[in-house]
Amino acid sequence: MIRALRTLPLSLKLPLLGAGMMVLVGAIASQQVLSALGRVQDARLRELAALHVEGLSVALGPLVLRRDIWEVYDTLDRAAEESAGHRMVLTAVADETGRVLAATDPRRVPMDSMIDEVAQGAAPLDELSVGASRATVRLLAPLTYQGRRVGRIVTELDVSDLQQERWRALWLLLLGNTLATCILAGLGYVAMRRMLRPVSSIARHMSGAEGEPQPIAEADIPDGDGELARLARTYNGMVRDVAAKADVERRLGERERFVALGRLSSSLAHEINNPLGGLLNATDTIRTFSHRPEVVETSADLLERGLRHLRDVARVTLDQNRLARGGNPLTTDDLEDVHLLIGPELKRLDQHVDWSAPDRLPAGLNLPAAPVRQIMLNLLLNASAAAGPGGCVRFLAGIRQDGLDIVISNTGPPMSDAARARLLSDEALSPGGGVGLRLVRDLVKGLDGQITHARRGDLTTVRVVLSAGAGGADA
Amino acid sequence: MTRGPSRRAALLLAASALASVPVRGVGQAPFRLGLTPVFLDNDSMVIDSLSAALSDAMERPIELVQRRTYAEVTGLLLTGALDAAWLCGFPYLQHADALDLLAVPVWRGQPLYRSYLIVGEDVAADGLADLRGATHAFSDPDSNSGYLVTASDLIAMGEHPETWFSRSIFTFGHRNVVRAVADGLVTSGSVDGYVWEALANVEPDLTRHTRIIGKSEWLGFPPVCARRDNVASEPVVAFQAALLTLSESDTGRAALAALQLDGFEVAPEGIFDGIAARMRLMDS
Repeated sequence: MIRALRTLPLSLKLPLLGAGMMVLVGAIASQQVLSALGRVQDARLRELAALHVEGLSVALGPLVLRRDIWEVYDTLDRAAEESAGHRMVLTAVADETGRVLAATDPRRVPMDSMIDEVAQGAAPLDELSVGASRATVRLLAPLTYQGRRVGRIVTELDVSDLQQERWRALWLLLLGNTLATCILAGLGYVAMRRMLRPVSSIARHMSGAEGEPQPIAEADIPDGDGELARLARTYNGMVRDVAAKADVERRLGERERFVALGRLSSSLAHEINNPLGGLLNATDTIRTFSHRPEVVETSADLLERGLRHLRDVARVTLDQNRLARGGNPLTTDDLEDVHLLIGPELKRLDQHVDWSAPDRLPAGLNLPAAPVRQIMLNLLLNASAAAGPGGCVRFLAGIRQDGLDIVISNTGPPMSDAARARLLSDEALSPGGGVGLRLVRDLVKGLDGQITHARRGDLTTVRVVLSAGAGGADA
Repeated sequence: MTRGPSRRAALLLAASALASVPVRGVGQAPFRLGLTPVFLDNDSMVIDSLSAALSDAMERPIELVQRRTYAEVTGLLLTGALDAAWLCGFPYLQHADALDLLAVPVWRGQPLYRSYLIVGEDVAADGLADLRGATHAFSDPDSNSGYLVTASDLIAMGEHPETWFSRSIFTFGHRNVVRAVADGLVTSGSVDGYVWEALANVEPDLTRHTRIIGKSEWLGFPPVCARRDNVASEPVVAFQAALLTLSESDTGRAALAALQLDGFEVAPEGIFDGIAARMRLMDS
């Protein structure tokens, strides 16, 4: 029940809450009214009973003293006939010993019977109450004459009309409260809906059709400078900021990719330039020793190997740029390409590399090649930079039951707080830092993967776990 | 019963008395007539009707004096506070040496009535013998039908009212006796037969809840009396004449109709012998 209430929209929950409060207030008010009515009725009943008893005391005092049974009866009988609304159902009078002298209904309370029998359940005047269970109440009062107690009076009063009045009041209150609650709850619902319409609009725009926040049209923003108008404008400002931030991050990501390529290009230039000297020497040797077939053959082989190496380097570089826009699935060739791309940089820094990659990837892995390559390349570049000249970098790619496990470690100083924040959190980027690690985080998030960081001894390890078949659309 | 000569003689006496005194107007002292609690003593229309009829006949105002008990009215009459009183045969006989009879009412053709022994409609009793231990209502200790008859019957049975009944009360009114029995206040009651019959006509809902289980012999109807030393005075003589001729005027007939009586007549000789016999029984 409470869970169902929590899931209700605010525009329904608030009117329901209001209606509930009204029911509560109505119940308390009804209880107060009924309680007040009961007190008024009790006071009225006591006043009437007191007048009755006082009147009878004055009239019956001397008669009871004289034991004039007929006069006592006659007086009671006439008083009963003149009783307003016949509230007094029965009155019995006894002498001081409790023996009944006369009653308005002699058959019910015979002469000379004991008044205690009819006084059972009778209350004294100050405790007389209408109650709710019985249609009659009984009063037991002393009969005093000239300051002396000469007998007792028991009077049975019909209170059914007072009880009916109370029930009538209760039903009217219930009916009135129900009607008022229903009407006011309905009006409250409509008013709340109107008041909360801008909030509903913001909620709708926050979860737009493409899953991205959409700004609220100016026409839909409430007039004036109220809270809701300010909220809508603030929301629009936030939407614009988020869009601008996403744009900046996208452009930074693009730049980072080119930065990475730029960093690689110098190494690649060396990779191309280094064999060029040998290749040119080989062509000179061929020209010089063109008459010697064995030398030409050897030089031609050397020339072919050099050109093939240059072709591979060129292909990988082209692939890296092309795959960024493609949607090809990850293969073992991609892992080898990354190895080839990072190789010159590691060699330049004279770093030792431990490389371990699976020979084949399972068919169901289905990870997009471009983001995974970018993740591995960025982490390797970062590890290489952290390891420094002569350092050690390890790459371990393993197949898990549910995806791909990439572990990249390096020696050297630990990762800075700023770098860890970029890699592991969504905190705002601090000025001056690169966006390579934040790009890794965004790409891993896009693939529903997880990143963990560990530092043991002088070894810093970053582990990326990617689930099989995740994030194809983001590649 | 030979009532004719007595009535004529009384009428002549009254006529001569009226002829010998001047007619007195409204300014005269009112004639004070005491009433015992007869059945309609609480009916103002009956009282007014009787007062108007007598006042018209006597051409003087009538002051009807009512008291709760027979003893009070009898006492007022004996002390001279009343000019005449409508008593009962029992108190008349108690004070026969000081009182004279002026007239007796005629009910259903004779100046006689009976005492009734009544019980509640649902009481299983067929006579006085069945009422041992019951609660009983008497009318007045000086009432013939409302006390003397039942008490003397019990004496004749060798019993006494105080011990025969578990409790006996006096209601000081024959109508009250009927009410006490009908309402269930008491089991049984002793009541004037004339009153019960009259009530059966005007208040049948009251008598319907009672049942007659015993009737006495015919006894002299409650008479109208005056002090013997005052019986020849002009107002008393005029009053007697007015009573005896009540049926001759419209107002008188209206009063008699209200009282459910035929008229008044001079009391026949020996009319109260039955009551006297019961009194002797009580004294024995």
